[in-house]
Amino acid sequence: MIFLNKKYSLILFLVFLQIPNSVLVAQEIDFGTYSSTYSVTVQELDGTILDFGLLYNNEGLISIDIEDALVYSIEAVEYMDIIIDISADLNLETAGCVTSSCQIPFTLNAAYANRGQNNIAQAIAMNISSNGASAQFPVKYRGNAPPGPPPTPVYEGYNPNNYTDTAYLYIYGSINVPIVDAGSYSGQISISVIYD
Amino acid sequence: MAKLLGSLLVIFSLGQEFVNAQVNSDDSIVGRVLVSAQVIQSIELVTVNSMTFGNAQPGQKELYVNPINDANAGFMIAIGTPGVEFRLDYLNARRLTNVDGEGFLTFTYEISGNDLEDQDSSELLNNDNRSIRFNNDGRYYLWVGGRVNLENAQPGNYEGDFTIEIDYI
Repeated sequence: MIFLNKKYSLILFLVFLQIPNSVLVAQEIDFGTYSSTYSVTVQELDGTILDFGLLYNNEGLISIDIEDALVYSIEAVEYMDIIIDISADLNLETAGCVTSSCQIPFTLNAAYANRGQNNIAQAIAMNISSNGASAQFPVKYRGNAPPGPPPTPVYEGYNPNNYTDTAYLYIYGSINVPIVDAGSYSGQISISVIYD
Repeated sequence: MAKLLGSLLVIFSLGQEFVNAQVNSDDSIVGRVLVSAQVIQSIELVTVNSMTFGNAQPGQKELYVNPINDANAGFMIAIGTPGVEFRLDYLNARRLTNVDGEGFLTFTYEISGNDLEDQDSSELLNNDNRSIRFNNDGRYYLWVGGRVNLENAQPGNYEGDFTIEIDYI
């Protein structure tokens, strides 16, 4: 009798372990599916070109620090997370460039601030790898608090765009000018913003 | 309908604010930022001809070399990055010292410039038009002249130098 009881309890225990696993998977919901009902406004605040200006040949490392960064405001629904992906050319080049004598290596830097203020002291640097960066963060900083409840379904009379806040994105970087041809050099940075 | 409206809102708000923005099929917003730099070559200043006065005649009160049309004017070529603007500065009054004895003369310079190698069509460079550009070949041409008052001059040979400063703006 005692032996039977032990066997039965062992079976119950195994079942108990398996059920939470399947429940966790079932609860993962991609709220980005509904993001098209929310608007995002991205706006340049401080220029549109990351311009290193006039430089001499073989001048070496020239940096634009975060204090002089291009700043973008991202106005979005405050309780949502957004994902920012950034990729930049590895080199600035002259038009029609085919050799290294017309390439200047470029190093991307980026940071964001999500405490409602355009304040570089609150900025969080993004990890950069091969001139690419990615970050997911809430539009409005929530500290150690857990994510809020699922977004309110859109219904007549409810406008999620009445609940927006502004995060800030800082784009900056450096170039290392070797012995290169004189001329105009340019490159591109691509920035993607999407709700999670 | 709600989804379509949302997408339109995104397009509208970005179309006028995020440079080169577009909305992808996954509702992500993509913008492109230009990174730029202009590498310039060091400026060189080449003296082709020095300015000469020749001999002053007895009783002559003034010597004058017109930089626009006098063959005795000095001729210099500034070489830099094509099309780039630069600033030109010089002291327009310089002292010429008597190499044979005491005394000096004060020389007042005049400079004319042109992006063509043509002295006759060059223009006097005054304080208000010294922001000029290298031509498409990266050159700018300068002619140097000026005047000196000889009324109280002692006989002798006088020499002096002329400093011209060029910087990219």
